[in-house]
This record gives sequence, structure tokens and C-alpha cells, in this order.
Amino acid sequence: MMNHRIPKMILFAATLLLAAAVAAQADESRVAVSERQRAFLQSHCAKCHDATTQEGKFRVDDLPLHLADLPTAERWQKILNALNSGEMPPADEKQPPAQAKADFLDELANVMVAARKSLGDQRGVITMRRLNRREYRNTLRELLGVEINVSELPADVGTGGFDTVGSNLFMSGNQFEQYLALGREALDEAFARQAAAAEQPKLRFEAEETLVRIQKFYDDNLDALERAKRWVKALDAAAAKPENAAIVAEIRKTAKDDSFFRRDWKKIPGAPAPEEFGFQTVENNADKANRALGYANGFMRPYHEYYLRQAALDAGAYLTIGIGNDLNSHLPQLVPFGWPVGEYVVRIRLAATDHAPPERRFIEFGVHPRHGQVLSTHEVTGTMNAPQVIEIPLTMTRGHAERDNRTLFLREKGSSDHYTRTRVIFDQAKRQNGIGPEVAIWVDWIEVERRPTTDRPPAPGLAALGVPLDDKAPLPMKAELRATLERFAFEAFRGRTPPASYLDRLLGLYATRLKAGDKPTAALKETLAVVLASPMFLYLAEPVESATHRPLTDEELATRLSYFLWGAPPDAQLRDLARRGELKRPEVLAAETERLLNDPRSVGFTRPFVSQWLDLDRLDFFEINRVLYPRFDDATKMAARDEVYEMFEHLLRSKDSLGDLLQADYVVVNGVLANYYGLADVHGDAFRKVPLPQKSPRGGLLGMAAVHVMGGNGERTSPVERGAWVLRKLLNDPPPPAPANVPQITRLAGKLLTTRERLSAHQEEPQCNSCHRKIDPIGFGLENFDAAGAWRTEDRYQVTDADGKPDPKLVKTWKIDSAATLHNGPSFRDYFEMREIIASKSDDFARGFSSALIEYALGRPCGFSDEPLVAAMLERAAKQNGRMREYIHALVGSPTFQSK
Amino acid sequence: MTMPQTRRRFLQSGSAIVALPAMESLGFRRFASAAAKAPAAPPKRVIFLGFGWGVTETTWFPRMDQPGAAYDLPEGLKPLARHKADFTVVQGLWNKFSNEGHWGSTMWLTGANRYAQAGQSFHNTISADQVAAAQFGRHTRFASLQFTASESAGGSGHGPGLSLAWDVRGKPIGGQSTPLEAYHRLFSKDATPIEEQQARLAEKRSVLDTVLDNARDLRRGLGKQDVDKLDEYFEGIRDIETRLSKDEQWLGVPQSKTSLPEPKPGLAGRDEIKLMYDIMTAALQTDATRVLTYRQPVSTLLTSLDIKVHPHDMSHYHGVLGEKLDASQRRDTAQSELLAGFIDNLKATKEPDGTSLFDHVTLVYGSNLRTSHNLDNCPTIVTGRGAGIRLGENFVAPKGTPLCNLWLTLLRGMGVEAERHGDSTGTISELTV
Repeated sequence: MMNHRIPKMILFAATLLLAAAVAAQADESRVAVSERQRAFLQSHCAKCHDATTQEGKFRVDDLPLHLADLPTAERWQKILNALNSGEMPPADEKQPPAQAKADFLDELANVMVAARKSLGDQRGVITMRRLNRREYRNTLRELLGVEINVSELPADVGTGGFDTVGSNLFMSGNQFEQYLALGREALDEAFARQAAAAEQPKLRFEAEETLVRIQKFYDDNLDALERAKRWVKALDAAAAKPENAAIVAEIRKTAKDDSFFRRDWKKIPGAPAPEEFGFQTVENNADKANRALGYANGFMRPYHEYYLRQAALDAGAYLTIGIGNDLNSHLPQLVPFGWPVGEYVVRIRLAATDHAPPERRFIEFGVHPRHGQVLSTHEVTGTMNAPQVIEIPLTMTRGHAERDNRTLFLREKGSSDHYTRTRVIFDQAKRQNGIGPEVAIWVDWIEVERRPTTDRPPAPGLAALGVPLDDKAPLPMKAELRATLERFAFEAFRGRTPPASYLDRLLGLYATRLKAGDKPTAALKETLAVVLASPMFLYLAEPVESATHRPLTDEELATRLSYFLWGAPPDAQLRDLARRGELKRPEVLAAETERLLNDPRSVGFTRPFVSQWLDLDRLDFFEINRVLYPRFDDATKMAARDEVYEMFEHLLRSKDSLGDLLQADYVVVNGVLANYYGLADVHGDAFRKVPLPQKSPRGGLLGMAAVHVMGGNGERTSPVERGAWVLRKLLNDPPPPAPANVPQITRLAGKLLTTRERLSAHQEEPQCNSCHRKIDPIGFGLENFDAAGAWRTEDRYQVTDADGKPDPKLVKTWKIDSAATLHNGPSFRDYFEMREIIASKSDDFARGFSSALIEYALGRPCGFSDEPLVAAMLERAAKQNGRMREYIHALVGSPTFQSK
Repeated sequence: MTMPQTRRRFLQSGSAIVALPAMESLGFRRFASAAAKAPAAPPKRVIFLGFGWGVTETTWFPRMDQPGAAYDLPEGLKPLARHKADFTVVQGLWNKFSNEGHWGSTMWLTGANRYAQAGQSFHNTISADQVAAAQFGRHTRFASLQFTASESAGGSGHGPGLSLAWDVRGKPIGGQSTPLEAYHRLFSKDATPIEEQQARLAEKRSVLDTVLDNARDLRRGLGKQDVDKLDEYFEGIRDIETRLSKDEQWLGVPQSKTSLPEPKPGLAGRDEIKLMYDIMTAALQTDATRVLTYRQPVSTLLTSLDIKVHPHDMSHYHGVLGEKLDASQRRDTAQSELLAGFIDNLKATKEPDGTSLFDHVTLVYGSNLRTSHNLDNCPTIVTGRGAGIRLGENFVAPKGTPLCNLWLTLLRGMGVEAERHGDSTGTISELTV
């Protein structure tokens, strides 16, 4: 954040250098430096770099302004680098005025970005690609009806661009072997599910059963206390005997306190042994008795007694905050070993206690109490008089094999994010009431039930097999087996018929496995796994004869459409329409687009697209400092991320405008987030549209906690990150990439400055200012949001000493001033005015969104040659109030989408 | 390009290189056990250790104004004091194309330009270890081995990739991610009868034949660019073929034996790294491979040192100092201690001719990240006498010298015939003895 940008590195030159294969001459991609910049070169460079002097063998006098080819672009890049690094003009020459230099650098940097785009334009060529990691997972799910852990495969993100861009999706021998192994795993899982299709085991765990353990724990403590007291009494009696006075005095001299004194009980004649009172330890038995005595005024005793005083313990249990001597902080429940894989439902009957504050009326649910991630958060709206039942779906796979990951947990939201945080929660409550956190959630019972699938047709891949999936049936005949393999491959290859030679080889593999001693199903699975590692399954191929572009076939269009809107293969209906040659009819295609978007599988489009488009992975870059921001717990973070998705999905469902992402008088939130944002009367787990009060800072991306968390480091906000994100994502005006190798300045470290004062350092050097004058003002306008996305009016900075301890004397607090002036743009007095300005640029936003959608859908960069398509999308959407579906319809209906 | 008529013929050209590989090293070992004659000179070996999130710049690097042998060992390198005469800190190097402040390993050994291909936002090239493996790997059961940490690389500042190694096509190479896996890969006995192993190899081949059949069918009618893309698949299969051929040649040759006990599962952080170093020593000692890379864990190292700071936050210690700086420095010290122990091992392990592993190994220890997001003056330590490098120095190269110049210097020093590597502009002749 506090960086002096002193670039030394050639960032683009190399790109351009090697982009040589692609020539770009078309007029629409004309990228040029403006005429008025020639004067700058003339007055500051030409003296040494003209035809006669040619200092450093570099000339500027004959440099074309139009960056039509790579050599020209490289020469301009050299100028950019030399100016950026301060290398040119040399220190002993006259320096250009700061403003002129900043303007020149600003323009040139942006021209270089445009040149990279122009010279790298693929001109509509889409590289064939394999399924990316999530599509591969979705495809196995559709084919076999199973959920497979694919985390071993490369994530296919993080290389820039979307994970659908084929030229960035690689393959290796290693990966091929992983596909074989994962295919095997998927088949094992599918066969196991099929075998257990009819099973419906069910159990109910009554939460009051925990009372026996808790009561016994408490009784044991009291009993030990009583025994310890009796022992002390007997010991004291022995010590009081006059004949022992000397020895007692001797022990007292060295013993720090009574418990040390009692450790020396053996030296006192007639003193009873602690063993006689039931204290058996390996070392000094007095220690155990001493410890038991501690329960008399123990730290946890009031909490235990408080718990046992609660009502309704005979019918249920309360969730507690666990800091050792755990009562009910997780309510663990084992899904019995031997219960088969498949879809389960977990039902929990529970209630919030009468005095539970709103922010504590939430539970977290997950698997693996010690390390497991929270799977879902739920608001508890039931009351002690009228408890509710929450239903949570759960998938059990072959991966859930060990006790820990077969154990479900249930706990209060935010109570176990980190053990230090749990401790803080407990101690704060204890300081207030002398007991500990009051109970907030009461649980009646937990039910776990497997859902049978006999009423559903088997997954298409299994249905295609058409042979018994167990080893009891007689071996299939060769012809029958061949037909089986053909049907399966046809299904797996999304409707392509495999060649005969391929089937012959598969049959050969099956025979080899049988000969090696495999059971028929094992041999079959082994053979089918090879199908799932074959290129026709792994690649989305669209053959072309000679020219680069041709219309897609109906089948190809079906595949492209479903991988765009589902991230999954076409279903039977889509393939059927394609086979009958009807899919290309505009009304059919539009109806199918609607159907796919209405299907729950469309989250296979919305989530990966939104996440990559808006760079949401930055949410995981930093840990929020929970000392500074105790309310932003893990569940809130999860909800904040979901808000971005849910808002997008709302726009996709409703008639609301894409522009609502810039400014809206409503939010799409659930109970967790409504609580965080301070919106009353919004309860429950479903995200829904909620109107905002007047003058609310929420509504649109700029009001979302997730966006502001990404624009900070978990402790402090970063106006630079935020400003750059707004330019990139909302205003479609990305700043040139920051040059690498920027030394951190330590000059301002430890100084008592406001954030704005600190960032004013950017104005000192033209090479910093050329970008930061655009970025920083936007960031200042967002300063009312803290690093956890909550609204604030003050900020403070505290200097830390060399040991990282805050120095209480060096603190500065200031009232946030969010007024600023956009570069070459209007001024604004506060966040609200700035939001108006940004919202007025919804056309720029829509343009950026359309380009992103094109890149995602087609799997190639969106180039200058796509301008007509972008324009068509904007035009169509504009007629329908910017409705999001219109962009998608315009894209899907375009010749570009329907061509290879 | 047209596909060769049969896969077997397709392969023959490739496998010719690996033909008769075992003889030299087998013969060597036989001599060694018999101790009858003076054995042949021990082979060259190379190790690359990458540690993701850089170092603490103020306390790890020797002073630039103290070049040569008479330099003060900085705090972060103190644990290496006993080896001071036997390693060289090389300063001033960088990969000029690197521009990702979170990628400590992706381009470290490659020097590639991620934008080198138009329209692609990611591209990589072969890593230095694989250049060495192409030559050294002919003689051993494993051409190279890649070890990596069991956690996700993201948390440790390594960047994309499956290990430090990238193959000849710039594709990531995976490896073993726990000491237990590494141990089994190297030393587990395969008790299966040879006929069965042969049958298994034949079956694997027919699996490959089947998918190749499918690939050829798919290939028909594809455009040029798509054919290139599908060729990655063919090349992947070919890699496996090459490996199978090698397996075939090693059929019946018993796995190396080691006195190292089988590691316990679940080790993490400092213990994990230490054990990996032990396994690497054993791998070299038994000549199971001559090329090793290890992409070390950082986040679990911190946990094992009882440091609560998030590793990425740690690399940003400049702004806040305090516990983040402390974490960064403790990380440096722990890593230096581990390296010192590894060097002890290499020195203590004897070759049959009485020299030590240290005399024939080249060990590089470093990262593409200096500190924070900085990518210049990559922290680099070279040790071992395998490449004829001057040891015991604080070597300061002219600013802007490609890191690949060092890789080229080392490769040539070990006798690898490489003309250039990555963006190298030549060797660093001042570094050689």
C-alpha cells in the first residue's frame, strides 16, 4: 500500500516480443499515442536521441505514433521504462515539469495496455479445451450421480483470465493418471450408492442424554471436593497435635502456602494418606486432593452450576462455550460406521432461549468437530415455547471413512473460529456476570436419516450400462458387454459414438482384468475408468476442416450452452433438441437458455463466473483481525461472500437492472448479514431482497462487506486496493499493472499520520502520481467502511514499537473525510455523492461485464474484434432496463457464440 | 504433424536414449560392495530447495559492501556458521520476467516469461533440475524426484505448480508430498513376481493404447491450434510410456536399501523438513536418483515453531514489524538450522572412494521472492562441490544479472551440456574456481 513505485522492470516488452505470431492491422484495433505527446519527446528526448546523435542507439525522432507492430511497441515500452525508472532524462539534464511528465506517463502506460490487447487479439479463435476442474467434477456428478473430491487436480485458476480459457488449461502424464484414479473413485462411489439405493437408516439423538455426563462430571467434582476437605480436616488434626509442633513448624518454614504444606503430609506422624480418601495419582497423591479443593471457588464451577440450574434439561441440552471442561460446545454426533454413502438429511429441533440476544441466535453445522469447515450457518427462530426443526442436507461419500469425518457438529456461530477467540468470549462474559456466557441455544434432538433413491431413475451413466452391478449375475456375453461399453462411452462422450477399434481395446482390457482375477464388477469399473480418462470425455472438441470459423453443429451448440450456463454436460432434453436439429431455432435456443438459467444447476455458472470476474479469491488473502473486528466471524465472512453471489443470482432471476450492482435501494441478505448490517426484522437462512432505509450506505457492490474486506489487509483499509478494484471492475478503466520491484518506503513508518497524509507521498513523484491520482480519490471516498466492511466515522493509527506492542502515547484519531476529486472529473463531498457518480457510469460497467461474460462463455480473451458483439449486448439489454438475462440472450443468440 | 503408425515405434526414438541405463550405476555399485578396485568417480548430483515467501531482508543478506570471503555472517544465517567456508551467498540475481509477488517457486528455476505466448496469461518453460535430469536421469531408477509440502502451495508463497519442477514443455510435474510417500517411493520393496510385474506393465500399456486410439479419433478434423492442444495429451501419454519403458528396464533390480526407518505419518513443519532432508540424503547415497527438488512448507513450519502469524502476513512485516518481523526472523533461523543439518549429513555421508556426498553434490537453496512482493536480488545460497563453484563467499553479481546465468553456470559446472537456460545471457565465470 505505502509503496513508492519505482519500476525497474520491463513488464510488457517481453509479452509483445513473443506475441509476434499475431499480427494486427485492422483499423478497429488502431492503438496510437496522441499527437500532442510528440512535443514532449521533442523537447525532452530528441536532443540526444535524434538521427544525428542516436545516443544509446535509440532514436525518438522517427518513432511512429501508431503502435501497429511489435518493434514499434517495444520502442515505446523502452521510453516508458526509462521515464518510470527515472533513468531518463539524465539527472544533469533539464527535467520535464511534474504535471507534463505524469500526463505523458499516464497516457503511454494506457496505450501500452491497449497495445498488448490489440497485438494479442486472438481474432475470435477459440482453442479447444479440456474440462476444467469444476466442470470435470460437475460432469462426473451428472454422469454418475456422485460427488467426488477433486482437490488433487490443478485448480485451473490463478493464471489470470477465466478457468474456461482453453489455452491456459494444460494436460500432463501426471494429470492423466489422476483422471484414471478419480474416475475409478467415482465409479466405486456410484456402484456403492446404487447398491444402497433402498436403504433408509435413521437415528435420533436426544440431546438430554448429555445431561448424564454433565451431571456426573459436576457430582464427581463435588464429591472430590468433599473427600479433599475430609482429608484436610484429618491432616490438620494430626498437625495440631502438640508432639508434632516442631515438625509442622519446620515444614511451614519452606512451604509457600497450604497446598505445599500438604504435599509434605508424610512427614507428619499420624497424618492420613490422601489415598485413603480416594486420591490416586502416580506422583504425590496430595496434588490431586489439592486440585479437588480448588473446585470450591473454581473458575468454571459457577458456569457448571448455572448450566444445571437451567430449565428443560430433562428434554434437551444447551449449547455452551467450551474452554476446557467441555459441556456441550459441539454436540458431536457420529454417523454410524457401516451406514452407506448417499444423500442424508439432518434434522435438528431447537430453540433460542428467551434472553438470547439477536446476534447469538445462530448455529453452525459441519463435519469433523476439531478441524472441519463449517458447512452452513442457520438462524434459530424457534422459541422455548415453540421450538423449530431445521433440515440440513448432507452428502456422505467414501471419503467419510474415519470417525472424525463421520462426526457431525453443531455449535454456536463464531464460538469456535479460533481457540483464542473462544477464550475472549468466555472471559468477557465472566467479567460481567461472574459466571460465563449465558446459554442462548437449546437443542431438543438431532436426527440423521438417509434418503433412499429407489424412486429416482439412476444417473444416465449407470442407466446406460444396462447390466447388473453386482457379482451374483452370470458374466455378460461379449456382444452384450460390447454394447454396454458403447452405451456408456456414448453417454460419457456427450453423444459421440466411439470407434470400433476403441471398443475392441476396452473389451481387451476387461478380459485382462478378469484373467488377473478381478470380479466382473471390478473389471468393469476398471474398464470404465479408462473411458473417463479418454480425450473424448476430457476435451470439448469442435473440429474444423480448414477455415478457422464455421457454425457449430447442434450438438456442439448444446455442449457449449450447457457448459456456459451450468458448467456441466447437456441433459437429455438439450441433447434431444440438438439431435432433432431444433436447437438452433432462435425461439428454441432462447427457451432452452431460460430453462438452463432457471435450473438449480445454474449455480455452476453464477458462482465461478462471479468469483473470477470480481476476484473474490482475495477474500481469503488475509485473516480479519478479530481483536479489532470481533463481529466479523467466519460465518459472517461466508455470508458476505454469498451476498455477492446471491445479489447476482437475484438479478438473473428478477427484472432488476445490472446497474443495481452499482447502486440499489435494496440488498439481498440472510439473517446473519442483516444482523451484521443492522437491518431489523430479517430472519432466516434464505437470502432475499430487503428494501433499505433512506440514506443507507448499503445496496450495490460498494455497500457490500465482502468488497471492503477485499480492499484491506484484515486490519487496515487500503484505499489503493479499493480504488484500483473500482476502476478495474466497476468503471472498466483498469489502471496499468503496478510495476514489480517496488521498494517499500520506511520513511513514513512509525510516523503519526492519517491514511490520507500517508498516501500523499504518491504525489511526490510523477511516475507514482500518473496512476495514483486516478486510484486514490476513489479509495478515499470509501474510507467510511472499515477493514471488515462496517460503517465508521473515525479512524485511528497507533504506532507500534519494535516488539510490535502498541505505543499508548503515539496514537492519532481522526474524523474520516471522504471528500475528494476524481482525476479529470467531478468532486464529491462524501461516499454517497461518489456512489452517485459511479452509478452514473453504468454503461462503462455494463461494457466491462459484457466483455467478462464473453471471455468466460467462449473461453478466449475478449478482443477488439468483439466490439460489435459487445455493442449488440449493450443495445439489447438497454431496451429491457439492463436486465441481466438480456445480456446472456444476446450473447447466446450471436453468431460468435454459435461459431467455432 | 502426423501420428506415427504405432505407438511402439513412436516410442522407440524416445526410449533409445534410455536404453541400457542401468549398467553403469549397477556396475559401480558392484565395485563398491566388493571394494576390489578403485571405483569410478562418484556421479554428480543436484538438489534444489525452494522456500516460498522469501526472507527477512535486513537480517538474512550479507552486506553488499562486504563482497568476498571476509564478510560478516548476518543473523539469519548464523546457524550456518560452521559451514561458512563451504557455501556461497549469491546476490544481485533475478528473473526479469517475474511479476507475481506471491510466486516464490513457479518461475524460480525456469526464468520463463508467463506472457510469452500471445493470448495466454500463463506460460512456463523447463526448470533447471529437469535439464540436469535429462542427462543424469539415464543412470538411475528415478530420473528425478520432486518432493513438496503436503499443504496447499498457496499458503506458502510458492505460486502455481505442483513442485519446483516443470517439464520440457513447461508443464508442472507432481511429486511426493509427505516424508512417508517419499520414503515409500524410494525404498518400498515390491514383492510381486516378475511375471506379474510384466503383466502389469503390459496392461498399463494397453490402457495407454486405448486412450491413444480415442485421441487419434478425436484428432481427426481438428484445427491446427486444437491439434497443438491435444498434443499435450499425446505428450503426457508419451511421458508415461517412457516411464514404463524405464520400469521395464529396472524389472528385477531390487529397490535400494536404506537404514533409515520408515517415517511416521502426520509429521509437519520443522520435523517434516528435517526428515525430507534425511530421505534426500538416503536417496543420493543409494543412487536411486541424482536430481532432487523440494518445495518446502512454510505455513506448517511456522505452526511447528508455535508462530501464530499468517505466512502471507509475515512476508509483509515491513509496515508493522513487531510479531510479524519476529516470525520472519525465526523462520529464517529455523530454515538455516535445517539447512546446516542437511549440509552436515552430506559431509558425513561417504562415497565408496572415501570422498563425501558433499564433494559431488550441487545444492541450491533459495526463492524467487526476496521479501514481501519483491522479485529482485532473489535470496540464493549455493553449496556442495559438485559444480566447481567458489565457496565461502559473499558473491555480489552486477545488478540485473539473470538468475538463469547461475543455473547455466551450475549446469555446465556439473557437466550438463546446456547452451542456455531460460533468459540466460551467459555464465558467471567469476563464480567458478
